[in-house]
Amino acid sequence: MTHRTLRTLLAAVLAALIALPSAFAQETGDELVVALSSDPTSLFMPRTADRTASNAAWSLFDSLVWIDDAGEIVPALATDWTVSDDGTEYVFELRQGVAFHNGEPFDAASVVATWETGKDDSNDYADSFAAADLVEAIDDHTVRITTPEPNATFLTLMANDWAMVPPAYIAEVGLDAFAQDPVGTGPFRFVSRTAGDRIVMEANADYWEEGLPRVDRLVYRVIPDASTRLAAIRTGDIDVANRLTADQVGVLEGEDDVEVISYLNDRVYYVAFKNIGAGVGTPLEDARVRQALNYGLDRFGINQAIFSGQANAAPGFIVEGNLGYDPELMEPFPYDPERARELLDEAGYPDGFEIGMGCPADGYININEVCQAIAASLSGIGVDVTVDFQTTNAYWSEPQYAVTGPMYVDSWSSEFGEALPRLDGALTPGNYYTTWEDEKFATLIEEIESEVDREARAELYVEMHELMREDPPFIYLYQPVIFEAIDADLVGYQPRAAEEYYLRSVGFAD
Amino acid sequence: MLRYLVRRTGESVLLILGVLVLVFFMVRLTGDPVGLMLPKEAPPEQRAAFAAAMGLDRPLPVQFAEYMTGVFRGDLGDSLRQRRPTIDIIGERLPATLELAMAALAFAMIVAVPLGLAGGMRPGSGLDLAARGVGLAGQTVPNFWLGMLLIVFFSVQLGWFPAFGRDGPASLVLPAVALGFAGMGQLVRLTRSAVLEVRKSDYIRTARAKGIRDRVVSLRHVLPNVAIPIVSVLGIQFTYLLGGSVYIEVVFAWPGLGTLLETAIRDTDFPLVQSITIFLSLFAISIHLLTDVIYGVLDPRLRLS
Repeated sequence: MTHRTLRTLLAAVLAALIALPSAFAQETGDELVVALSSDPTSLFMPRTADRTASNAAWSLFDSLVWIDDAGEIVPALATDWTVSDDGTEYVFELRQGVAFHNGEPFDAASVVATWETGKDDSNDYADSFAAADLVEAIDDHTVRITTPEPNATFLTLMANDWAMVPPAYIAEVGLDAFAQDPVGTGPFRFVSRTAGDRIVMEANADYWEEGLPRVDRLVYRVIPDASTRLAAIRTGDIDVANRLTADQVGVLEGEDDVEVISYLNDRVYYVAFKNIGAGVGTPLEDARVRQALNYGLDRFGINQAIFSGQANAAPGFIVEGNLGYDPELMEPFPYDPERARELLDEAGYPDGFEIGMGCPADGYININEVCQAIAASLSGIGVDVTVDFQTTNAYWSEPQYAVTGPMYVDSWSSEFGEALPRLDGALTPGNYYTTWEDEKFATLIEEIESEVDREARAELYVEMHELMREDPPFIYLYQPVIFEAIDADLVGYQPRAAEEYYLRSVGFAD
Repeated sequence: MLRYLVRRTGESVLLILGVLVLVFFMVRLTGDPVGLMLPKEAPPEQRAAFAAAMGLDRPLPVQFAEYMTGVFRGDLGDSLRQRRPTIDIIGERLPATLELAMAALAFAMIVAVPLGLAGGMRPGSGLDLAARGVGLAGQTVPNFWLGMLLIVFFSVQLGWFPAFGRDGPASLVLPAVALGFAGMGQLVRLTRSAVLEVRKSDYIRTARAKGIRDRVVSLRHVLPNVAIPIVSVLGIQFTYLLGGSVYIEVVFAWPGLGTLLETAIRDTDFPLVQSITIFLSLFAISIHLLTDVIYGVLDPRLRLS
């Protein structure tokens, strides 16, 4: 090869490289592009293993009821409903004239089929459907649903998980094929999916709610790495980049085309105590010790040092945004090492004690640092904590955290706007993750579960908070802030506290 | 030649069997998928029912026997998460990974071979310095970090290439450079040292003594002789690129086997992790076998050793 041919070749390659990008410039127009941090496992709701998958799937489906932005249950595919006096029987009037994307009419048979396919044991969320004993069609547009006992959150559960599916189509193609090419009544219809890359949807022109959706096309792009999501929102390739850190959104300061939004996540981080297994016979059995640990931990300092102040100190399990939360009544434990030492003294541990604490290594953002900071902070009141880092797989696959010592760090989210899931999950004896068994907590949780009246339930939550303050089963840590970056022209995008969003009313400003 | 072939194939088969056993048990050391797959609130009865439905409640030896018979029937099982044959899932992702690996290899060769050749022919020259610099950079710069730098510079600042995804040739450039960079470094060093070696040989000295011009010497006499080690390294490089693409695919949101493997590991999707690992191992072992065979054809001395 002569010098000249080499030079010509190099010039040609360079020219091609410079010319290429313009050929791939995308027209956005009325297309909404949203990043997903992982490839959805399934678009069939009962098998959507995580938030990413359920967020994507909800664009295709509707439920009978809906939770509006104020947290109230409102009609969706049901126009009206009544609940029997004993709180176990619901009768829904169904919206008429609604059709699935394939033309199949939506009627009572669809509701029955949704329940029957949903409660299959192999589904991740079978439990949500098993909350109903019986679903029966009274006529084409009326359905009766019976629950085994009064269930305060049954409607919420339906709004979150019961995505209506077309029975004839499922009977024809089977569930696995349905999951690949899903059909719902939702604001968008499924167009195509490229594994690991994108899911393309288009507006459902016959959507039952006038004027929605507000964009013609919706594209989900799978971008696992947060820095890449950040780059993609800066280049304008996507309109919504979620799951960013405070440091990352800092880069966006001064960029006019991108808006940073942040909100409190309905997730409480805590150190759990055990009064079963490894916790038996330890100082933790004494309530004064558990109070002392709450007073002796500088949760404010941890927030400042590790999260640059971008987290809220958790007052307990009932936090901002939850039913029953009252900022006046519910303040976090103050950082008071003096009081902590007094309590330890009273409990008979004037010189403190040694204790082990499990930590899910890399299981959450900055969790390793948090675990070490907890140990450092508690050493200030003479409690010598040995941090035992475990892989998350081992950590969460053992019931009752068998792999950890008498204390362990964890977190629990709720998508209900109520603290019930974390209360029930972490405090009802016999549950997979319950390590603190106390009859008084269990009884009150049962009461909350069966109290159908919202106001009354709010009061029970206050009572629960007080009980958990006097006799704390946890050290309450923090509630994190979530950061996202969106196209500055986007309107109507309002993610909720458990990172769920609904894109039917999202559009672009003119 | 036949004996050589039989021996190498036999070794490969043993190796594959070893991989199958190792993969099955190692994947199971990582934890129990039931706790991770079900929502935290799931009651014990649902956990048990789910484990039964997924076949995870049976004794390990039974699961192993089923897995091995499955493998020999060409059935690698269904993904726990996606509930469809893992082989189909791999099939969907394979083209993206092959495309990226080939582009990375092409990039590495196009830069490395001419540079290594030029540097080796004129040790101490500016080009040689460049060759040594590139070789060093390739072997020391971590590829995922390079990937992020490339995105920030060429996508965000200059807007020349897409920051992520698989959208035609332009989107292939940055991930291919990031992935091929390390291989490029190795190839430059290899080519340069091979050239240095060959240049010392008698026939080159003779060619020079006959008054043949430098360029002709390097193209007609040096290049063919350094080709053998380069070709053999290319095979190894290719399999390395397939495996090494995990980070790069994640950074560039490239929908290939790498991102699939990352997700599968995170989800403790045993059958899928197993299948990808087996698939990549089979691929690697086959390429090595093929390289050995070609090598044996090219160089008769190897067949006898």
